[in-house]
Amino acid sequence: MPQPTNRSLVDRLSDPSERTLAIWLLAPAFTFITLIVVYPVLVLAWNSLQDARLLTGQPARFSGLENYVFLINDAQFWRAAKNTLIIVAVTVPGALVVGLGLAMLANTAMRWKGPVRLALLLPWAMPLAFVGLIFAWFFHSDYGIVNDVLKRLGLAPVIWSASASLTLAAVCLATIWKTSSFMALILLAGLQTIPRSLYEAAEVDGASKWTQFTQITLPLLVPSMLVALIFRTLTAIQSFDIPYSMPGPGEDTQTLAMYIHMNAVDYLDLGYSSALAVVMFGISMLTTWVYMRHIRREGGT
Amino acid sequence: MNSLVSGLSNGPMLRAMAALIVLVNGCFPALWILATAFKSEVELTAKPITYWPTNPSWDNFVTAFRDQPLPVYLFNSVVVALGSMLLSLFLSALAAYAIARLNLRRRGLILACIVAVSMFPLVTLMVPLFEIMRSLSLLNSYWALILPYTVLNLPICTLVLVSFFQEIPRDLENAAMIDGCTRLGALWRVVVPLSAPGLFTAGILAFVNAWDEFLLALSFNSATAWRTLPVGIQMYQGEFSFPWPTISAALVIAMVPVVIVILIFQERVVGGLTSGGIKG
Repeated sequence: MPQPTNRSLVDRLSDPSERTLAIWLLAPAFTFITLIVVYPVLVLAWNSLQDARLLTGQPARFSGLENYVFLINDAQFWRAAKNTLIIVAVTVPGALVVGLGLAMLANTAMRWKGPVRLALLLPWAMPLAFVGLIFAWFFHSDYGIVNDVLKRLGLAPVIWSASASLTLAAVCLATIWKTSSFMALILLAGLQTIPRSLYEAAEVDGASKWTQFTQITLPLLVPSMLVALIFRTLTAIQSFDIPYSMPGPGEDTQTLAMYIHMNAVDYLDLGYSSALAVVMFGISMLTTWVYMRHIRREGGT
Repeated sequence: MNSLVSGLSNGPMLRAMAALIVLVNGCFPALWILATAFKSEVELTAKPITYWPTNPSWDNFVTAFRDQPLPVYLFNSVVVALGSMLLSLFLSALAAYAIARLNLRRRGLILACIVAVSMFPLVTLMVPLFEIMRSLSLLNSYWALILPYTVLNLPICTLVLVSFFQEIPRDLENAAMIDGCTRLGALWRVVVPLSAPGLFTAGILAFVNAWDEFLLALSFNSATAWRTLPVGIQMYQGEFSFPWPTISAALVIAMVPVVIVILIFQERVVGGLTSGGIKG
């Protein structure tokens, strides 16, 4: 957070235009935000109340809550919502646990700082769409390395793309791999701010490594975890690139974002896709609110 | 054996193991794709699968360039990523300077408003932006991607730059103004050069974010001539064919620029990610 300025009164009086200048400097950024975020969200809310199917060739007409009524009874929406929920429920804790493990490993391996850091940055820098393609190849039924390893271990190979749950499992693994490294980078920065003296004191008191982990490391990491978790959860709700690149049987593994994309771009049904997007918006805001409330409570104690 | 045991208890073995696990986890997929890119179609469908190309060849790279206009995709990705990077650096440098330095009430709230942009689900924005771009005939153009990417990168760029601007001693700026610079002059001659590392860090983060984006690129720029790399690479697969060696070669080509960027600037990237803190 920025600190209040320490400028003297004389200083301030000699430059009365400072506030005006500030407004001029902030104006371009806020103009962009208004045009690219705020205005579109208003358009979205309005469109969600319209029957606007561009492919029918008919002009849009106001239809009240019809899109939302349809949405509640739309089995495909609920399937997409369920798939998205599974991805959130698996990959958010998954990325946190794997990320914490990677961060602890990286922290012990600080002698090889350069290569270790590079290995954590590589998954972060790799486009999600590429990760999806690569993992689709890993999980290929005939020529994938996952089935090859299974066979070498004497297990039966699995046809991953045959069922929705197996495909979702592969999607979750790919997502955890991609996102845990970023989590690890944030947690590693957090780990390195914990003073060594705390551990030394615990050592003197005869605390075991496990006690040190649960009593010192974890509590002190909570602030960095929460920030990383908000963004991980928000991006998990929007999962698109990886499930799109790792298709399962038919549309059985469609996520909410994929369903919105299909309605908007493929069917050009602006009304219904807007209603879906409004629901997605609501879910995201609710998630942020829940986290924020939690953070505030943490801060209060 | 004795030395192994003592090594373990002393820790260097343990530390080496830890480093190895992190390295394998991070690099394995990229290395596997690199190996696949040099395998032939025949070798790829051999059973059991080979781990190392037995007869490495550059053929897949030739095919990758022949089957899809890879240079076009690369060029589009560079234009879009660089364009949105420069634009969001410009916008966020101005805003960050006002927030960090000028006499401004509610600066915390103003910064929070900018950061709140990163909380907006991209999918939600995609639907109305698609219609707006369509009605402005901006679909299949660089602006269709540069404009939204610019705004999406404002939060991270502003956060990084605010923290850099706050580090620059105020006296330097005051000295410049005493010497007759205007405030904007001081911003341009003193603050900008001194915050070059910050601009750099923010720039890299913005570049990588734009380089990686898929949903908007797929939705807005679907025509061959306007596709970016993440979208273009999906086009190698036919309805029934999945030419893995070719896709792998294309992936390797697409990854090289970003790998070079993070190899050179890894310290800055990590610093920026963990200070500005967010967005993965």
